[in-house]
Amino acid sequence: MKRILLACSSGMSTSLLVKKMEEAAKEKGMEVEIWAVAQDKAPSDMEKADVLLIGPQMRFMKKKFGKVAEEVGIPFDVIDPVAYGRVDGEAVLNKALELIGE
Amino acid sequence: MNNKFMEFLENMLLPVADKLNNNRYLSALRDGFMVALPLIIFGSIFVVIANFPFLDKVISEEAFTAYQNALGPASAATLSIMGLFVIIGIGYKLTEHYEGEAIYGGAVALAAVLILTPQVLEGVSGVIPTASLGAEGMFLGIFTAFIAAELYRFFVQKAWTIKMPAGVPGAVAKSFSALIPITLTLTVFLIVRIIFSYTSFDTVQNFIYTIIQQPLTELGSGLPATIVAVLLIQVFWFFGLHGQIIINSVFDPIWYALNDENLAAFQAGLELPNIVTKQFIDSFLVGMGGSGMTLAVIILIFMIGRSRQLKELGKLGAPAGIFNVNEPIIFGLPIIMNPLIVIPWLVAPVVITIITYFAMSTGLVPPPAGIIVPWTTPPILSGFLATGNAWQGAVLQAFNLLVVVIIWWPFLKILDKNYYETEKKGESK
Repeated sequence: MKRILLACSSGMSTSLLVKKMEEAAKEKGMEVEIWAVAQDKAPSDMEKADVLLIGPQMRFMKKKFGKVAEEVGIPFDVIDPVAYGRVDGEAVLNKALELIGE
Repeated sequence: MNNKFMEFLENMLLPVADKLNNNRYLSALRDGFMVALPLIIFGSIFVVIANFPFLDKVISEEAFTAYQNALGPASAATLSIMGLFVIIGIGYKLTEHYEGEAIYGGAVALAAVLILTPQVLEGVSGVIPTASLGAEGMFLGIFTAFIAAELYRFFVQKAWTIKMPAGVPGAVAKSFSALIPITLTLTVFLIVRIIFSYTSFDTVQNFIYTIIQQPLTELGSGLPATIVAVLLIQVFWFFGLHGQIIINSVFDPIWYALNDENLAAFQAGLELPNIVTKQFIDSFLVGMGGSGMTLAVIILIFMIGRSRQLKELGKLGAPAGIFNVNEPIIFGLPIIMNPLIVIPWLVAPVVITIITYFAMSTGLVPPPAGIIVPWTTPPILSGFLATGNAWQGAVLQAFNLLVVVIIWWPFLKILDKNYYETEKKGESK
């Protein structure tokens, strides 16, 4: 079971991605838990996650999240803007799995 | 626009966004408002229900008054004294940032504000004027919460705390460890209050209100400052950075203070003093499909879109767009870094700001009534609610959408044609 955490300003636009990523995971026959939160909740939720991805519009928070992710010991990255615009669940899922090291 | 110039701009904006966002005071301020938000929306819902249109004509005057009085406490206890919750939120979040006992940070911030608040109203003592916890006290509350949390941290770090021997229950030890820092912090505020009572300002509240809050809100309620704020939001988004979250952390105290002034006037049945408020921005600019009023872009895609790329984007973006979530459009059209789109992207919101401002200043449309409508409320409905259940607010939003459609038309047409031709070329190969 892979646990993927997404974060943006209020967890709205990333929640669009959650559904698409779940669909992509289903197609692959994988068991994943994916959820989206507002940026202020992300640090406390990181403990429960295997990887954190943030929306490209939040990339100015990269430093802040990078530090927490390092402390918690999970990989972290900013979602590619093109994949984000297309709400490309598969691409983002692959990215997340790659970061986890699958 | 060449790439070097774009790169240069982005390299300038990113550190600004980073600084604004990672500034611990602005972060605490933003998160403090987040704490108050659910309560504010609860209060707003009941202001809307208490002011249902035509209700005063359907039922007797007596019944209507009783109805309004019964619902009154909902907003009086939340929306009207939102400063109270923001203060606790700021004290809590700032102390949390310093890894201190956050709940004491919130409590000490609130107590500090209450110490600075005149506890007399029209000769009656032993009261806390609610106005001082609403619009009027907003700035004092924010500054005091910052300083109280800082002092608390300072005294805790100085380790002037009472150490409990091992074996004392944790909660007991904690309450003692907070004792000295809280005592010292609040003593400082008491001294400040006493000093101010000897000045011509009489209270700190009065001092902050006259020297800082009034000039700032006056500036912030004007059209030029509003246009600057709107343009900054658009520019940040153009570079794919979340414009609101960056700009709001600076403007929210002003916009909320203006909002609460209108609410007080609305509930008292007086003329609304301000046009630009939190809701002016949230309902009439952001609440039109998201920043940049992209619901108009989606409508336009359905009207004139021929390329597969745009048609797909329209289908993808429409459901979220109705609720003002527009990241698919911003990153998918794409709007970011698109030299063709920069023109309507910057022009349309400025035009809409001006139209909305004058529609309200001339009295064609009532100004926002101080009700906080959640930003995910679809347009037309949000305009109606924000103006205190006025149909003119809904009509203005519909008109504004049309204006944005017209401004975007030629630009989207060119973009669509480019995509269409690329697609055709790809197929014929």
